[in-house]
Amino acid sequence: MNYELNAEQNKKKLSTLAGVRSLWPYLADERGILLFAALATIANSAINLSAPLLIAHVVDTYIVAKQFHGVLLYAGILLVLYIVGLFTSYAQTRLMGGMGQRVLFNLRTKIFSKLQELPVAFFNANKAGDLISRINNDTDQLNQFFSRTLVQFIGSIVIMIGSGIFLLSIHLKLGAAALAPALGLLIFTQLISPWVKRSNAVSLTATGGLSAEVSESLENFKVVVAFNRRDFFRKRFEVANDENYKTAMKAGIANNIFTPIYGFFANLAQLIVLAYGVYLISIGSFTLGLLVGFLSYIASFYNPLRQLASLWSSFQVALAGWDRVSAILQMDNNMVVLPYALEHARESKALLEFKDVSFRYTEDKEVLHHINLTLEKGKTYALVGPTGGGKTTTASLMARLYDPTDGAIFFEGRDIRTFDSVERTQKIGFILQEPILFSGTVRENILYGNDSYKDFSNEDLIKVLHDAELESLLVRFDGGLEAKVATSGDSLSLGQKQLIAFMRAVLRNPELLILDEATANIDTVTEQLLEDILKKLPKETTRVIIAHRLNTIENADEIFFVNNGEVSLAGSMEHAVDMLLHGKRES
Amino acid sequence: MSRTQKPKDPNAAPSVFTVLGPYRSFVIWLIVLGILPNILTLFLPKIISAGVDAYVKGDLNLPLLALEFGLSTLGIFVLSSIQSAVQVYASEKVGRDLRSKLVQKISHQGYRFIEEKNPSKLLTNITSDIDSIKMFVSLVIVSLVSSAVIIVGATILLLMTNWRLALVVLTLIPLIGATFFFIFKQVRTLFTESREIIDWLNKVINESILGAALIRVLHSGNVEHEKFTQANSQARMVGIRILKLFSLMIPIITFVSSMATLAVLTLGGYFVVNGTMSIGSFTAFMSYIVLLIFPILILGFMSNIIAQASASYARIYETLRASDEVDVGRITESLHGKIEVKDLTMLYGEKYALKDVSLEIAPGTKTAIIGPTAAGKTQLLNVMAGLATPTFGEVLYEGHPLSSYAHASFYPQIGLVFQDSVLFQTTMRENIAFSTTVTDESLEKAIETAELTDFLLSLPHGLDTIVSERGTSLSGGQKQRLMLARALALNPKILFLDDFTARVDAQTEHKILANIEKNYPGMTLISITQKIAPIEQYDQIILLMEGEILARGTHKALMHASPEYVQIFDSQRSTNVYELRT
Repeated sequence: MNYELNAEQNKKKLSTLAGVRSLWPYLADERGILLFAALATIANSAINLSAPLLIAHVVDTYIVAKQFHGVLLYAGILLVLYIVGLFTSYAQTRLMGGMGQRVLFNLRTKIFSKLQELPVAFFNANKAGDLISRINNDTDQLNQFFSRTLVQFIGSIVIMIGSGIFLLSIHLKLGAAALAPALGLLIFTQLISPWVKRSNAVSLTATGGLSAEVSESLENFKVVVAFNRRDFFRKRFEVANDENYKTAMKAGIANNIFTPIYGFFANLAQLIVLAYGVYLISIGSFTLGLLVGFLSYIASFYNPLRQLASLWSSFQVALAGWDRVSAILQMDNNMVVLPYALEHARESKALLEFKDVSFRYTEDKEVLHHINLTLEKGKTYALVGPTGGGKTTTASLMARLYDPTDGAIFFEGRDIRTFDSVERTQKIGFILQEPILFSGTVRENILYGNDSYKDFSNEDLIKVLHDAELESLLVRFDGGLEAKVATSGDSLSLGQKQLIAFMRAVLRNPELLILDEATANIDTVTEQLLEDILKKLPKETTRVIIAHRLNTIENADEIFFVNNGEVSLAGSMEHAVDMLLHGKRES
Repeated sequence: MSRTQKPKDPNAAPSVFTVLGPYRSFVIWLIVLGILPNILTLFLPKIISAGVDAYVKGDLNLPLLALEFGLSTLGIFVLSSIQSAVQVYASEKVGRDLRSKLVQKISHQGYRFIEEKNPSKLLTNITSDIDSIKMFVSLVIVSLVSSAVIIVGATILLLMTNWRLALVVLTLIPLIGATFFFIFKQVRTLFTESREIIDWLNKVINESILGAALIRVLHSGNVEHEKFTQANSQARMVGIRILKLFSLMIPIITFVSSMATLAVLTLGGYFVVNGTMSIGSFTAFMSYIVLLIFPILILGFMSNIIAQASASYARIYETLRASDEVDVGRITESLHGKIEVKDLTMLYGEKYALKDVSLEIAPGTKTAIIGPTAAGKTQLLNVMAGLATPTFGEVLYEGHPLSSYAHASFYPQIGLVFQDSVLFQTTMRENIAFSTTVTDESLEKAIETAELTDFLLSLPHGLDTIVSERGTSLSGGQKQRLMLARALALNPKILFLDDFTARVDAQTEHKILANIEKNYPGMTLISITQKIAPIEQYDQIILLMEGEILARGTHKALMHASPEYVQIFDSQRSTNVYELRT
């Protein structure tokens, strides 16, 4: 599966109707609210329309006739209407806005959950900044549409339909003539909407690109400073900024094209009615009074239509945002958990087996070729070999960060793909090459993803660490368990980060513990301490150690030499060193 | 009306309207274009009513009427098209320029600034905050101007028609103003809060993306989900609080204006009934009131946008206000490699990261810094490279303080290889030749020295292969060698290595160190390392522990003088048996 969201085949381009239909599930729960809001909108529109009519009535019948009690009576009626309007108008904004916020919340949650479902390969293919932009910015376009636009949308359409029917009922032909320009607008809108949406899609993509550019440079600012390449940061940013500027201009022009054109057609309608009306009067089939009235009713048809112009463009923006959002939601995890049937189990003494495993990352060249290896329970294995030979990849496959392209991996005699993630991650511990920390405290980071000690007090936790021989490592942190951890910056050294990752993995007490150069930046004295800790792990724990320092691997029961995508058994330590130092290699 | 919109907090950033300062011509255009189409629009009913009157009199010239009407319509169309084009142009330009300004500012800051400010917040500055400003520029000016024109015009007409009745209407204006002011103040703080939540969301998402592999190893998606839901719920809560205020404001304003209409209807009706007002002025008065209400509503909507933009502008201003990192250095001389570190002390809060560290390095020598995890080795390197500022003490190059060197001539002379590998999403070539001073020869030499020649040849497009973000397709050792090549490509006088050999296998390490010796003779080398074997011949080894220098000297001297050094040596002895065989 191609996980690159910006790849052509993954770009979603839904038509307006399909877009609306695919959005509907997010609104389904809000049906009741939607109904109430629509009712409030209709009531509000009715009040807005009838108040002027009532006032006109008061003027015509009571004020002209100088009957003040009638004026007072209608003033009372109007007061009641206005009070009702106070509530309906509040209800309409409040209900729809609340719905917008909820939809926004649900959408963001949904995308985030989706991200958590997707495999590592997805994150290799997409930039962090672009994903952030999709979750924060694109969803907000939808929120804007729901909370602001949709109410007015409904209101405008209700008023338009009412006025349209009214116009036709006064005089069919004149009404039809008055509405003819609207038909033109409909066609125009149909023709131009795809272009408007496309412009917005391009613009949102550029926004995502800008966000990606900025976050990449900010994350890497140390190198920018140390190589005095502030110009590099600025230059690359300017490219993205310019791109964003140009595409946003285009999108802005596209979005604003509706308003003047709708205005133009509305005014055109007035002219048509005037000319045609005068003609009708001249042949005696219409009266002047009716024409004057008719002209004012046209306004109540075309004014909401004018509003629709700007609403429609924000609808197009929302749809373009929705396309980008649904591109994520459409992604499938290609690493599903396979159903497990007992008869598939194989009697096996081995903890883990690679059967003819080959692997490639995306369309690149194959990085592992036909690998066979067996790990037995309770033993310690070392993977050695030159950089780029495939050690990390082999380890990643053991932890099922990826699935093999060919062949299969068996854990405890079962295809590793039949373990659900909870079970698999409990059994297999993996200390990654790059230690990953989250902002918080040392305690939070050690217990990250580990519920067993969640409710322990610090004293109790220290006891646990003591029993696991990990307590001595805690001394390296000023403030112990409560020492602050910031993810970026140099507040913690790489070695310290590796210590945290080490404690985190050991505390989980896995059956298979993989260390991928997990102690590379730790001094050799501390490293001996770590080795002792590893040795004292339960007897049945299997360890896989990737390291360049030979002393870290000399205690291994078995050494695998990984080179050029192939894994071979090295036999003795001497032989391994020999291969490492003198063997033929490619990297 | 617009006066009540401005924030009054004296500590706050200048009003968001100052953003428009450099764009006077745009503002003038927007004002003119805000007024003209409105005037023409008011003109249309006049044409029609004149036409109707003429028809009644029997001298209607239909073609002339159609022409007048058509021209006005066309005029409105053209003017409003230009108006929206200028709106888009102005807002995008302001947005782009402001973004550029932000990035200029950020790019002149030191590394510390970015860490303190926090990248997530700067990202919100450049994206969401700018968006609010754009919205402000594109909508607020035109709306304010056209609303103001209509409000002032309608008010004058009201006063001229019947001043007593007009005063009744105008008493309601302070009421509306107070509503605006009250809600504006509250909404503004809420918008600030909502921006901070966006920072928070950015951070959670970013960490969950950078930590994707770990999250899958630990199956801790639910933990991340919880963190996200916390931030997201907070976002929803603030969103709904803003909404509550906003959905209160519009009905209140409408209601107050309706009350004005009602007052005029009864009071005016009374005047007409008792004969103090003509029916003509009364109807005119009523139609002016209708005219007055719409722009007031628009102001209500605009106050929301202004509040949002003010909150964002205050945040942007805070970043823009930061003083530039001082690059007052004037010295551009070339370095020879003489470095003195004098009484360096660095405090992180209460804790000493470095304490009274002094050392001298002669040109062309090799120095190793060794010591346990968290001893302060990397901090020392950062201070020596000018990336961190010490609390006390100074670093001298060739006898001059580091700060007196101009960045542009200092940095190209030192090569820095950090522990963590930083790759940019661009070609291999640009990643290695990450400086304008790199020539083809120096690039070639660096690649050869870092033993990357074969690797680069194996890539589909060689040096022009694009590296993906975070270098996900490369192994740790490959990345680290790329980092070395990047530093060497500068042909540096001084090379700093931070734990360079950690991820490179022994054979490659030997080769690379030999290559450096051969290809870069006379280069001063400062290497932070864990391994003793490669540094046994170094001129100076410095043993750092808990921020203090515990011992210094050659390998031989330290083996005699420092039990701690011997302990480190012993911890590696078994390895040496194998490594000696090479």
